[in-house]
Amino acid sequence: MLFADPLFGLPSWIDAIIRIVIVVLVMTVFVIYSTYGERKLVARFQQRLGPMRTGPWGLWQGFADAIKLVGKEDIRPKNADRWVFELAPYATFIPVLLTLMVLPFAENWGVRNLALGVFFVFAVLGLNIVGILMAGLGSGNKYALLGAVRAAAQMISYEIPLVVSLLCVVMITGADTGNGVGTLNLNTIAALQEDRPYIVLQPLAFLIFFTAMLSELHRAPFDIPVAESEIVGGYFVEYSGIRWSMFQLTEYASMWGFAVFGSVVFLGGWAWPFGVDSHWALQLATTFTKALAIVVVIIWIRTTVPRLRIDQLMNFSWKVLLELSFLQLIVNGIILYYDWPQELLALTSAVGAGFLIFLIIRHASARSTKGLLGTYRTLGASSS
Amino acid sequence: MATEVIWWIFALGIIALSAGVVFSRSVIHSAIFLIGSLAGVGVMFVILTVEFLALTQFLIYGGAVTVLVLLALMLTRADPSGRAEKVNGPQAPFALLAGIGVAAVLLVAALSTEWAGNTESPTNIAIEAISQRLFEDFGLPFILASVLLLVALVGAIIVARQEEGE
Repeated sequence: MLFADPLFGLPSWIDAIIRIVIVVLVMTVFVIYSTYGERKLVARFQQRLGPMRTGPWGLWQGFADAIKLVGKEDIRPKNADRWVFELAPYATFIPVLLTLMVLPFAENWGVRNLALGVFFVFAVLGLNIVGILMAGLGSGNKYALLGAVRAAAQMISYEIPLVVSLLCVVMITGADTGNGVGTLNLNTIAALQEDRPYIVLQPLAFLIFFTAMLSELHRAPFDIPVAESEIVGGYFVEYSGIRWSMFQLTEYASMWGFAVFGSVVFLGGWAWPFGVDSHWALQLATTFTKALAIVVVIIWIRTTVPRLRIDQLMNFSWKVLLELSFLQLIVNGIILYYDWPQELLALTSAVGAGFLIFLIIRHASARSTKGLLGTYRTLGASSS
Repeated sequence: MATEVIWWIFALGIIALSAGVVFSRSVIHSAIFLIGSLAGVGVMFVILTVEFLALTQFLIYGGAVTVLVLLALMLTRADPSGRAEKVNGPQAPFALLAGIGVAAVLLVAALSTEWAGNTESPTNIAIEAISQRLFEDFGLPFILASVLLLVALVGAIIVARQEEGE
């Protein structure tokens, strides 16, 4: 349960509190600067400058925004269901905070080292939906309700490929630990990737994980629950001030959590490429660099791809990602059972990843298709 | 000692939340109390050091079943504002009877069973042991259960499916 010894020989619960405070502080700094970084990056992609006025290069923009949000009036609509409305932001935030508790940021450094780390992350993340549904139901607003239904449908659908793609990696750890038993412990999973990250062996699983992650985070092109041009603002349309910023905090905190989680499971976490014996500062820098790379790619995709429609989104999850993830699981099972070389894992998975990319490009470039990714109709075509 | 205090806090919390499920005037409030109550049971499993069961409780009951309940409430009711409505009908005495019956059966079963292992200070069971029992010793029943679930899933899709041209 515990990582090594408590710091300075303190009782384990004080040690836990210190660790939680550190993790939460890092998360807060990330949230403040990722909003700034996102605006800067998006501005660059659109040939603008982004925030420039507050401080040098607009560096204090995040803090200014935070102060502004705290100062805003906290409005509760008359029609709202009081307690459900007021508790919803906390119900969405707590699961995300809990997932941060098991992530290893450096060798043996996290809040708690659970043997069931991977399982813990997706078991607790599932509770996130409850908070979103509470926000939608409690607001007494049809737009909020629609946003919550969309969010719930989307998150439930994409949770399956997400979990199966993680299982693919967990299967492979069984071949690496030596005794044939896999591990769900995130710290061990990172350590096992000392020689090569699992993205090399499982590119398809990584693609599926990444897509499902975008969907779980409601990031573009899967930002249907918060689509401002369709349903105003999604499930948190009625919130303002501090409660609205709780939702925003949740969004960016879960982005941070997912980025660190993805970098630990697929990109080698703190262990690759400098090895398990490297200095802790180097390990920390490695994890952060990988996580930030994932965040940058998420923002990059946001500026590149237009938003999907809800039926396209559902079709993509149930007809493409689910099948490919199960295929990956079965192929992994066969290869691992017969102890075939690991190069075969990488090869089959790369073929699958290529197929997925081919499918996306073909459907994205077609003018009008009726297929796996949903029906597109050209303007003027009669709809029955 | 500390564990016992925590146990009592959560036990009272679960009872309060369960009472909330029964006595709250809005169905949505009931559903949310139910989530809290089931999550409290998950915490009880943590106190008993069966992490796997606790996480399964959070995943299945916290994340899946109650979300299903909330979604069903959302889709079936026209008024989303969670206003108070009449939830008690003529079925109330029968529901009470059924509740007492189930509680009695569970109590008798729990008290009359000779529990294996040390109930005073439970020990953690490794996930490897659970998976070995599940996938090796009881492999066939496990597969049969999953086939049953799959059939139910396919059946649900066929029932719910919109026919072409409808």
